[in-house]
Amino acid sequence: MSDSRPQGIVIIGTPRAGTTLLRRILDAHPRIACPPETYLLSAAARFLHEERFAAGLRIGVLSGLAFAGFEEPEVLARLRGLVFGFLDDHARARGKSRWAEKTAFDAFHLPAIERMLSGHVRFVCIQRHGLDVACSLAELVDKTGGYVQELHDYLRRDPEPLVALAHAWVDAAEHVAGLVERDPLALDLRYEDLVRDPEAVVRRVLEHVGEPYDDTLLARALAEPGQLGFGDWKTYGRAAIDGSSVDRWRTLPSPTASRLAEVCNPMLVRLGYEPVEIDQAPSDEDARHRYAMGLRLQQMRAGKSHEQ
Amino acid sequence: MELTSTSVREFLGKKTRADLTKVSDDDKLFSSGIIDSFVMIDLLGFLEKHTGARVAPEDLQAIDSVRSILELAASKSKR
Repeated sequence: MSDSRPQGIVIIGTPRAGTTLLRRILDAHPRIACPPETYLLSAAARFLHEERFAAGLRIGVLSGLAFAGFEEPEVLARLRGLVFGFLDDHARARGKSRWAEKTAFDAFHLPAIERMLSGHVRFVCIQRHGLDVACSLAELVDKTGGYVQELHDYLRRDPEPLVALAHAWVDAAEHVAGLVERDPLALDLRYEDLVRDPEAVVRRVLEHVGEPYDDTLLARALAEPGQLGFGDWKTYGRAAIDGSSVDRWRTLPSPTASRLAEVCNPMLVRLGYEPVEIDQAPSDEDARHRYAMGLRLQQMRAGKSHEQ
Repeated sequence: MELTSTSVREFLGKKTRADLTKVSDDDKLFSSGIIDSFVMIDLLGFLEKHTGARVAPEDLQAIDSVRSILELAASKSKR
């Protein structure tokens, strides 16, 4: 008997949480086509953007079209049709019967995406330790030389980039966790599990989407060049899945890790991670002492005079 | 808690994410580049927390190996 549940698959996770790796694995499946990041869903979410003012009226396309005689279910169905049409055509062109979609920054548009897609797709949600995500996002913006809108909003609110990125993680992770709690068609994964035991996690994913696992899938996912496009550039340079990026936050200076922990710990605990130890904030005198010692170390490294 | 070669290595291993098992107690750490100045600063905080004593600028050159770290910690603890 065929599976009557929705066939479309949407990967959702905070940026830098392993979504591109999952995309490559699903795209290597003989029945599933998952293109590089299309931005279809975040674009559709922006189409649904609305403002709500004190009088309670929602000002946006759904209310506007309702006045014109188009009720919300119909508008959402038409929007889904537009999005699914591109993905159906892409899958067909690849000779595959199903599609999957993944764009990392979708996590910041999840309320609108959920409104549009819940009950119509199977979500595969992946979460990663927030301090590792903040470190990796900092590396990403360093490489790209700028902040995308979704992150820039946080930078405007907080002058410390890593702290701003930690806040971005908390909000995105909260959206993803909420989706997992509400949607029975959402699978909940952890990046750390994926890199520690890829086969076990991929088996869960394929069971969730109703496809068989084959022993060559992971090897093919990493060996095949796949389609070029937007996504995490680092995965294209990897020939094997490894856990070398797990716990990278531990290399942060202790005051920085503590500052991020203050932001992230409640969400870390909610997601089942151990909270990060928070050191007492240094006194002004301690902070000056650390700073002076850091300068002295730089002098030593440069081979300059060690004398007073 | 008394500092040991193992506890110092564990601390530095977490901070550098490097395998320090092949580093001997006398191998140079900072001057060889195994640890950078950020890790050194955290190490100083780690030492001060364990000894309850301030590490002085003149101590910096004396702590470039696991053994010298332990010797400094022992001397600070006696005071």
